[in-house]
Amino acid sequence: MNTGPEIHFFIGKGGVGKSTTSALTSLFLAASGKNTLLVSMDPAHNQRDLFETDFSEKPKQVVQHLAVKEIDTAHWVGKCLKETRENIRKTYLYESAFNLQDHFKVLQFSPGLEEYALLTAFEDVLGRASDKDAVIFDMAPTALTLRFFSLPNVTLVWLNQLLTLRRQICQKKEIISKIRIGTCEMERDRIKEKLQSLIGRHTCLRDRFLSEDSRIHLVMNVDRLSFSEAVRIKQRLADIRIGIDRVVVNKTQPGKPLGALPETLEPHRLAVFPLASGTLVGLQAMQAYLQVQRESFADMLTRPLSTGQGS
Amino acid sequence: MMRTLKNRLVRLWRTADEVAREKAVDTVSHEVTELENIFALLVLGMFVGIPSPPIQITLDLMPDMEHEFDLMLSKVATAHDPLGELFSVLDID
Repeated sequence: MNTGPEIHFFIGKGGVGKSTTSALTSLFLAASGKNTLLVSMDPAHNQRDLFETDFSEKPKQVVQHLAVKEIDTAHWVGKCLKETRENIRKTYLYESAFNLQDHFKVLQFSPGLEEYALLTAFEDVLGRASDKDAVIFDMAPTALTLRFFSLPNVTLVWLNQLLTLRRQICQKKEIISKIRIGTCEMERDRIKEKLQSLIGRHTCLRDRFLSEDSRIHLVMNVDRLSFSEAVRIKQRLADIRIGIDRVVVNKTQPGKPLGALPETLEPHRLAVFPLASGTLVGLQAMQAYLQVQRESFADMLTRPLSTGQGS
Repeated sequence: MMRTLKNRLVRLWRTADEVAREKAVDTVSHEVTELENIFALLVLGMFVGIPSPPIQITLDLMPDMEHEFDLMLSKVATAHDPLGELFSVLDID
């Protein structure tokens, strides 16, 4: 039985209203008495504008049952590099470590560090969220989010390949030891052990994304660009076996039809939210909107029935 | 007399055995070095201009790869003469 918090990711094209929808959902859950944590993973950090207060890595209580925190990517990148640098100093000979510093400097500019930092922060958030009922992630725009979700899969492909090669090396070393000294005396291979532990860690992360407790809400607007991008996101996630829970159609206007949208993105998954009459900035404005749309939010958070179960 | 002869034969046998064992593992040792170099290139290839795996794999494994790092950098020095290296492994003068 999984006793962890329910996890909601809000993803989609930039500007469609991911931050607003995730803030409103968090407020809705908190008002329902659920101990909720809203995490801003978007480097733009719009939550501070919506709640009109500054946030940091330390969760800040905004209303009863709701705390908000921002992920500082630079902090997590720095933390990863610092740990590696310290491990190198501990294990390498003085001279090698000294020469390595030049090579090491280049690592901070490596592509892929940003999504890895997000993944490490995600693990950290969940590790500390045992007292929470729900954790809401306001994700970064599409490109970074897709790399974030596919990172465990891509990493596992590499790790399995490297483990196969490492096993070959260890087997041949065993043969050499057997021929040279007649017995098979092998030191434990730290790299092989590390690869196995990394495979375990990334399998957990991948399974976390695939788990029933993790629900992904794809936010979009009723315009052609937003619609095309939503279809592509859905397809890319399907490629790594991650399904969309709800398609949140945001900022709809009365009398403006949804067009081909319901057929393409499965009608039973749609959650429609109308454009607010005023700007949705500040706790009061968000709570007023929520008051009107309470049922729609409750409906969005109910698991959609699959097409086989009805519509 | 017999004891001395026996001792000499035992020593000769041991030396011959040692030489044979060393000869037998020479090629496998070379193969292990090559595999370790490939492993190093896959993990640390970014340092010599080869596409690397997701960066966290490099970051996690690098602290335990001093031997492979040295090997990879020394291989760069002999990279201009691969035939010479092959002939030396196969014991061809």
